[in-house]
Amino acid sequence: MSYCRSAVGIAIILMISAVFGAQAKDAKNAPPSEKIPTGAKVFVAPIAVFDTFLKDAIAKKKVPVEVVASRDQADYEITGAAESQKAGAAKKIIFGNWHSREEASITVSNIKSGEVVWAYSVHEEASTHGKRSSAEACAKHLKEAIESK
Amino acid sequence: MQSKTRFVSLLLIALVVSFATYSAQASQAEDKSAQDQSKAEAKAASDIKSAPSDEGQLATVNNAKIPAYAKIYLAPMPGGFENYIIAGLRNKKVSLTVMVDRSKAEYEISGVSESEKAGWAKMLFIGSQQSNEQASIKVSDLKTGAIIFGYSVHKGNSVRGRQSAGEACAKHLKQVVID
Repeated sequence: MSYCRSAVGIAIILMISAVFGAQAKDAKNAPPSEKIPTGAKVFVAPIAVFDTFLKDAIAKKKVPVEVVASRDQADYEITGAAESQKAGAAKKIIFGNWHSREEASITVSNIKSGEVVWAYSVHEEASTHGKRSSAEACAKHLKEAIESK
Repeated sequence: MQSKTRFVSLLLIALVVSFATYSAQASQAEDKSAQDQSKAEAKAASDIKSAPSDEGQLATVNNAKIPAYAKIYLAPMPGGFENYIIAGLRNKKVSLTVMVDRSKAEYEISGVSESEKAGWAKMLFIGSQQSNEQASIKVSDLKTGAIIFGYSVHKGNSVRGRQSAGEACAKHLKQVVID
């Protein structure tokens, strides 16, 4: 009788493991649910000289994150690309515009999971304050993304 | 004695059933991957469907789709264009999970991009100070190595430079992602 019970038990365990295995397979591509928490430790990777402007903008716009100097201490990393072009003679003479053209794109990724959790790109054809403007735009939108949750 | 025989027979039945289920699942998955691979191999350049869009050229292998929230890796591109694509994916709400580690990804986006600023002649004769953007991306399955999607964009007067090109790539990539 006890043999029968144990056999039934083994059969049940096998069935349960098969069901859970199938469920785990289905849940492989679940939607990412990660958000950047308030006070998260963020490392800003070198982006030409844009990272300096970005750090300054994060402080100025009071983004609720803690910027750390070392990648090892951080939970999240900000990487990206930025380009700046000063107004040429043609732009100044024909359009009467002295402002620079700014482009930047940043990506926030979780260092542990390797997942990109937030990204933003900005383009300013005539940036009043150059890199500072684009960095502040990035910081402003990052703050909105953190606080909106 | 009889109960022992019953136990052994029950255990054997349970094992046979579980093995049969497992092997059926495994063979189904194997068949699917083999089918995908054979499809990918069979559908060479001649089978790639090309469809012109507003400013770009889209190419997809027949019935090629990327499952929602698939893990995708963006290879580095000239001028950091991959960052603009990631921002475009987010902006266009493309349901993909972007990974920074290639080994954790299922698909890879690679490509090239070029940006040309407006010169004095363009400003003087056309009155445009907008840049000329060109980009081309391809999506490959890292397991099979098959290229399942390709898109190229050209914008003569890009209002928002690389950002526009990145968003165009993301918008068209959304067409092959199953929601």
